Amino acid sequence: MNRRIARALVPAAVLGVATIGALSVFMGSGAGASTTSTTSAGTVAQSKAAEVISVPNAAYQTTRPNAGTANSNMQIFNKSGKLVAYGDKNVTYTAPPSSLIPLGQAVYMQNCASCHGVEANGVASNGTPGGYPNLRGLGPATIDFWVESGRMPAADPRSVQAQRHPPRLSHTEAVAIAAWVNSLDPATPYIPHVNAVSTAAVTDGFSLFALNCAACHTITGGGDALANGTNAPSLRNIPATQVAEAIRTGPGNMPRFTGNLSDAELRNIVAYVTGYIQHPSNPGGLGLGGLGPVAEGFIGLALGVGLLALIAFWIGDRT
Amino acid sequence: MSAEQHTPVSITSVSIDDPHMQPLARNPRRMEQTIATAMFFGLLSFVLFGVAYWMNWAPWSLGVTLGLGMVLLGFGVTAWGKYLMPKGPFVEERHEVASTEEQRDSFAAAVIQRNLGILGRRKVLGGLAGAGLGVFGIVAAFPLIRSLGPLPKNSLKTTDWKAGSYLVDSTGRAVKVGDVAVGGIVTVFPMGFEDTDNGQAVDQTVLIRLATADVVTLAGRESWGPSGYVAYSKVCPHLGCPVGLYEQQLEVLVCPCHQSMFTVSNGGYPTFGPAPRPLPQLPLYVDGRGYIRSQGGYNQPVGAGFWERS
Amino acid sequence: MSSKTKTSVSKYGPLGDKLNDLDDRLGVARGGRTLMDKIFPDHWSFMLGEIALYSFMILLATGIFLTLYYVPSQTLVTYHGSYLPLRGVRVSQAFASSVDLSFSVRAGLMMRQMHHWACDIFVGAIVVHMARVFFTGAFRKPRETNWLIGTLLLILSIANGFLGYSLPDDLVSGTGLRIAFSILESIPVIGSYAATMLFGGNFPGTMVISRFFTLHVLLIPAIMVGLVTAHLVLLVTQKHTQFKGKGRTEKNVVGAPMMPIFAAKATGFIFLVSGVTALLAGLAQINPIWQFGPYEASKISYAVQPDWYMGWLDGVLRIWPAWQFSNFGHTIPLEVFLPAVVVPGIVFTIAQLWPAIEAKFTKDTAMHNLLDRPRDRPKRTAFGVGMLAFLFMLFVASSTDVLANYFHISLNSMLWLMRVLVILVPLISYPVTLTLCKELQRAGDAGKRRRPNIVTRSAEGAYHTVPADLRPGDGHHELAAEPLPTFIKLDDAEEATAGTRMITR
Repeated sequence: MNRRIARALVPAAVLGVATIGALSVFMGSGAGASTTSTTSAGTVAQSKAAEVISVPNAAYQTTRPNAGTANSNMQIFNKSGKLVAYGDKNVTYTAPPSSLIPLGQAVYMQNCASCHGVEANGVASNGTPGGYPNLRGLGPATIDFWVESGRMPAADPRSVQAQRHPPRLSHTEAVAIAAWVNSLDPATPYIPHVNAVSTAAVTDGFSLFALNCAACHTITGGGDALANGTNAPSLRNIPATQVAEAIRTGPGNMPRFTGNLSDAELRNIVAYVTGYIQHPSNPGGLGLGGLGPVAEGFIGLALGVGLLALIAFWIGDRT
Repeated sequence: MSAEQHTPVSITSVSIDDPHMQPLARNPRRMEQTIATAMFFGLLSFVLFGVAYWMNWAPWSLGVTLGLGMVLLGFGVTAWGKYLMPKGPFVEERHEVASTEEQRDSFAAAVIQRNLGILGRRKVLGGLAGAGLGVFGIVAAFPLIRSLGPLPKNSLKTTDWKAGSYLVDSTGRAVKVGDVAVGGIVTVFPMGFEDTDNGQAVDQTVLIRLATADVVTLAGRESWGPSGYVAYSKVCPHLGCPVGLYEQQLEVLVCPCHQSMFTVSNGGYPTFGPAPRPLPQLPLYVDGRGYIRSQGGYNQPVGAGFWERS
Repeated sequence: MSSKTKTSVSKYGPLGDKLNDLDDRLGVARGGRTLMDKIFPDHWSFMLGEIALYSFMILLATGIFLTLYYVPSQTLVTYHGSYLPLRGVRVSQAFASSVDLSFSVRAGLMMRQMHHWACDIFVGAIVVHMARVFFTGAFRKPRETNWLIGTLLLILSIANGFLGYSLPDDLVSGTGLRIAFSILESIPVIGSYAATMLFGGNFPGTMVISRFFTLHVLLIPAIMVGLVTAHLVLLVTQKHTQFKGKGRTEKNVVGAPMMPIFAAKATGFIFLVSGVTALLAGLAQINPIWQFGPYEASKISYAVQPDWYMGWLDGVLRIWPAWQFSNFGHTIPLEVFLPAVVVPGIVFTIAQLWPAIEAKFTKDTAMHNLLDRPRDRPKRTAFGVGMLAFLFMLFVASSTDVLANYFHISLNSMLWLMRVLVILVPLISYPVTLTLCKELQRAGDAGKRRRPNIVTRSAEGAYHTVPADLRPGDGHHELAAEPLPTFIKLDDAEEATAGTRMITR
């Protein structure tokens, strides 16, 4: 063994590993780390990973009718004049029943108040504002989505992005929490119900999905990694209501699609996702996870060339 | 095997009783039975392929029956060759590929006599022939190359965006200032654009609504982002992929192809990845009826870099 | 010219008569005997090139089937087929015909998938075969021409694969076309001309699919068939190389004759390669274009890696820093030109010129028909491993987003990690391989002490070396056979020899 090479190799490897480690720490973003990046213009743009939204934006709604907010064809009011449902034949948005408010308050205080504050405004019990999101004025659909997808209560509050999880609270509890939080600062969108999914226009849904959703979630809906430790989740296991909620409320880093998608278009997209994304047409055999050429390359090289090379090994001599 | 059996013999002179001509298999009868079974099932599989085709069974059954048949048949023939045929090894001599000295001399003689001797006598003719072929070679390339397509001229630098263009979405609907919620993104085109790939490819633009407090105004662009709306070319300045991936809390546009990242609040500058140039920004304004329109075209060519770009 | 009357029967029967007629015209008997006797060495690694050859044949056969249904046109038509999410959509004829081929033509999907899997296997087999030739030194004189032909075939196969999977005009491959246009654009001075002239205008134009079809189906396969034929002719005339071994010299070939043994193995292998490809075509879906939808210039999907043999280019494009050179009135987009044009140019040039490069270093101009073991040429092996490691890291760099998602690592960290690994891993693999080879060279002496040479000087002043005496315990001594225990009963038919036992049940 060439001693000189060995003597150089070990420190080189240590240096290499240290370089990789240092660069990963500096360039990646760990939970809560704030990253700054230099632009070519020389100005410094602060990445928003650490800064969490503490004030709901006023221009959160849309003025376009039949696009997820109260200005829709159908509006149903209760005896005291409160809007309890709206929508059109495509999607119906219902407010959570006010009878659930006491349950909601109780469940909220038990599971959510420690982070989001006893007044649901992101002010934690020790008084520091802005640590966790302000839940007021976001509409019941937002609350319902986060709780029913299991992302909340958060498994790790300091992670960059909460992941989908088997929900810890039941459907009733989730709607109840939404009812109570909404009662503090009533807003839309209400919880959507997509009507007659099976007769929707999947053609339109496919086209809209490719234009608006595939860039993050991939064209086969498998999800993928995004910037600074965030990710677009897989769409393969999501019920229709949560698809609609996510599109209308734009959870986390997902954009908010309100006035740029009508309720009819929303229904078509939900139909496409629950139909062809979640039950893809794979007549050619195993779908290989819908990962595309990366998976195909592995199989082609390992099972194709590798297997044939093994067969050659059997056929030929070894000397 | 003994050392003698390892020594190769010539196929032309070996006798039929020589151990080199014996099969490799220790039990040739059993091997023959195994091979026969495999080939028989291969044959059955081919028949099954025929049935699958005529009965229009699922596509996977076509591939599996055909593949299985071929694998079994292939195994059979290969095993026959490897285990049942003479095991060898055999040898033959390599012949010299190179010519002999005499052959090379005679070749050289022919070259010198006929080429340099006979042809070389008429230098003018030779020169003209060579020049003719050369000019032909050059002009023959003209239709092969130039007729392929148009010169680029200005086509790489212009889009259909003009002063006053309405922003329309993919359904042709013009966007109004109240349409998009904060944190939303729409792919827009100039009204009247040619709705084919050719029109979409250069005109495609993303319209994003930020909270007004988040917009960082750059010098000269103060009026470009009304009510928190900003618009950038959707064509990535790296290699032209549509930059459709928007993360609303990070306020960053990510290109899905090679993960270049551009800040949205700060003039579309690249902060990560291989793109060196910012996304061209489209100046917007809101007209009297609430429609969002462009103040003019892009101030730089959209898309990837090229020689004539600046 | 032999004379026979029609009524006399030749000594070989009626079939023999027909062959005699053929031989009168073509002289087949003479060459036929030589061909049948031709010896092919048997080593398994010599069959890797056959995988490539048979995959090429599968590509030609399935490709012909596909051309009977595919329409190479970008003209828009309305899809009326059986896949619901596309029904009524205006798509290009190329896309519509490809989807119809997959759904409405019987065995169409199987043929399409066989074609695509065969292509992936084809390029993979070429690479593996090329590696075998490289590491065993089979490219040395007199086979440099064959190496040139082979590397040219590699380049053409990669190009043809790219052209082929772009033909269906789906969302994923159309994105690749966009990237190809921009790469062409990036070439200094002529780039914009090259791009608009090839595409018939600014991207996407109306010509590129039909032009790619001509290239993919006619021009490049024709060139490849010619090159493959030349490759095989050279192989037959120069004869295959062989490893060193008993009875093998530089002047002979040891192995199996063409008829019947090699023909049987080759025919069987054709079936096996086709069979594996067909099984893959049946069991594993590849390139499901109906799920991607038609290409539209404003749409994009995430995780759009190209097919694996283009992956190294995608990887180097992702990790390259954002350089450009533009303060002189023009722009040279170095962040595209260097990784997408210069790097593959360098890689392929080194590959093509390797026989010349190695000859320059080793000053070896002798004829070689015997192969090296990779361990016997440590520097060449280490360089090859380093190059393969570099290319492999580029492949991995192409899947940064998929890996980041799977392992829950930040995408940004993943990219920086790949930037470092692409340089570190080849640099580390060179000395590691070098050391491994040198160790393996002495593997036969493993565990033994080196035997010193004693240098003595004669009275006249000449030096000579004499191997020292073996130290006690260093030599090999045959041990006396242990006597068998008496309780084991021996079979009468055979005698036990020293060191063996027989157990009868």
